[in-house]
Amino acid sequence: MRLLLLPALGVLTIFAVALGALFRYSLLTFVPGSLQTGGLTLENFRGVASPEYLGYIWDTVVLSAATTVLTLVASYPVAYALARASSRAARSWLLVLTLAPFFTGAIVRTYAWILVLGNTVVTWPVPMLFTERGVLVGLVHFSMPTMILLLAAAISHVDPAYERAAASLGATPARVFWRVTLPLSMPGVVSGSLIVFAWTLSAFPTPELLGGGKVKMIANAVKDLALDSFNWPGGAAFAMVALLLTLALLAGVGRASTGRHAE
Amino acid sequence: MLTRIVTMLLIAALGYVPGVQAADPLVVSVWGGNWKDTIDRVVAKPFTAKTGVPVEFEVGGTIDRLAKARVAKGNPLVDVTFTTSHVARLYISDGLFSPLDMSKLPNAKELAREAIRSEYHIGGWAYVYTIVYRPDLVKEDITRWSDLWKPSLRGKIAMPDFDPSHIITIAALMEGGNEVTWQKGQERLRQLKPSIVAFFSTDAQSQDLMKTGQAPVQVMLSVNAYHLQEQGLPVTLVQPADFPGIVGIDTMAVMAGTKKAEAAHQFINLALSKEIQTQLVESLKAGPVNGGATVPTKLRGQPGIFVAPAEWKERGYIMNDEVRAKTLPAWREWFTANIVKK
Repeated sequence: MRLLLLPALGVLTIFAVALGALFRYSLLTFVPGSLQTGGLTLENFRGVASPEYLGYIWDTVVLSAATTVLTLVASYPVAYALARASSRAARSWLLVLTLAPFFTGAIVRTYAWILVLGNTVVTWPVPMLFTERGVLVGLVHFSMPTMILLLAAAISHVDPAYERAAASLGATPARVFWRVTLPLSMPGVVSGSLIVFAWTLSAFPTPELLGGGKVKMIANAVKDLALDSFNWPGGAAFAMVALLLTLALLAGVGRASTGRHAE
Repeated sequence: MLTRIVTMLLIAALGYVPGVQAADPLVVSVWGGNWKDTIDRVVAKPFTAKTGVPVEFEVGGTIDRLAKARVAKGNPLVDVTFTTSHVARLYISDGLFSPLDMSKLPNAKELAREAIRSEYHIGGWAYVYTIVYRPDLVKEDITRWSDLWKPSLRGKIAMPDFDPSHIITIAALMEGGNEVTWQKGQERLRQLKPSIVAFFSTDAQSQDLMKTGQAPVQVMLSVNAYHLQEQGLPVTLVQPADFPGIVGIDTMAVMAGTKKAEAAHQFINLALSKEIQTQLVESLKAGPVNGGATVPTKLRGQPGIFVAPAEWKERGYIMNDEVRAKTLPAWREWFTANIVKK
């Protein structure tokens, strides 16, 4: 039985070695104009503790939180319809529409948003392209299919008899939703939110293309440091800091949401 | 008998047929898309026809390929690398290039002086970063770098953020400085900030911004602008009247540790010949490095196309590769903090 764990241990070892190499790089001195690195230093970590890089972290956390909330709000009605539509054809169509974005790559979808947000198809009252608003739209769209599927799975496990019972006792539809359906679908809400929050923290192509260089999240800043400034030790240090922060945030959000759910 | 049959089957299974073994290919590292297609058609095919050595390509972005070369140090996956002249300095600093044997590059004698960048890397063609705009969307003529600061161009300009060295150097030149004393142009650059609508990280993004009209004025690679013209997009390349465009030179080098140094030199030498250079000019709309290359009349005098040796300095500004490679991180840091960030 223990032998079955070997592949997992192998993968874990590879990741641990890669992370170790990244950590080692983050402690080496950057030499401008050279790929050679100098001796051990903590200067890279001091560099990424500057207001500029802390700003990228803050922007990323705010955008990720906003993406999670908006995705949840936009996805719930679709997921509810998907789980509860009486017509089988309607459910099939909804499922096809939900899954359709999975069949186009993230880059293709993002390029489509460049056209839509850039006043070439629609004239927007406020600038959308190359702003946080535009990036948010792209991130929400990217996250919705997964959130819908997770929510629909959770909602389909809620026995409609509970909702009917609440309604028969005089609860309005809104009250039924708030007091019965939503609390019982919380496992889907929590898992969907955690997944969307986690992957938005590491989003790269959407802010890269829809942000026009003006909206940068952590992954974009790491790429800028490592690949554009040739500062691989600096990029490694920022990646390490971002990784630790992401793990801490996820642990915090996970503990808070599961704790509340258990109450 | 049985042993012989088994041996033959094994040889066949391994794809080895005595007497018809293909020559070991020369592996060339180059950018993708039009760059790779052009090098394949204009240089690699004639090279194979002449030497019998097939050519394979490793394509990727400038830094991706540098990263790969670094991890394969000592046992390179490629034999010849095309890269920009200042990024070549990073390869050199890490011992990834082998010194060129000039006795095996007789065509180098015909090159413009500016094309020989170091004992390790040699120019293949040139271009400029200059102003490119869409006259159908910008209703005024742009003729000078200083025009970028006109209030009428607010929210219309895009430029690269991965390498702001061109606009930083231009701003410094406008204030009496250069790439070494680049701080002189900082205040001027800050004044340009409201005019910039977007920054791009790749040539593809730059071209998309121009095509969609999101950024109808750009500090752009001349080769890309000519490519857009060929696609039917009405773009105008500016030969700035106040200061020249910033020259870029794409270079070739032989990888350290390659076992095909002889073929690599032959490949580079062929690429430098005036016949191949003539075809490169026509295909890429880039400036030839070989003075003997024939440049079509319509391209003579155009931005980035230098014919006479004096034109390199008269119509272009060539930055010091080493200064550029060493200062780029500082430029990027300042540019991101002061120009890119809101």
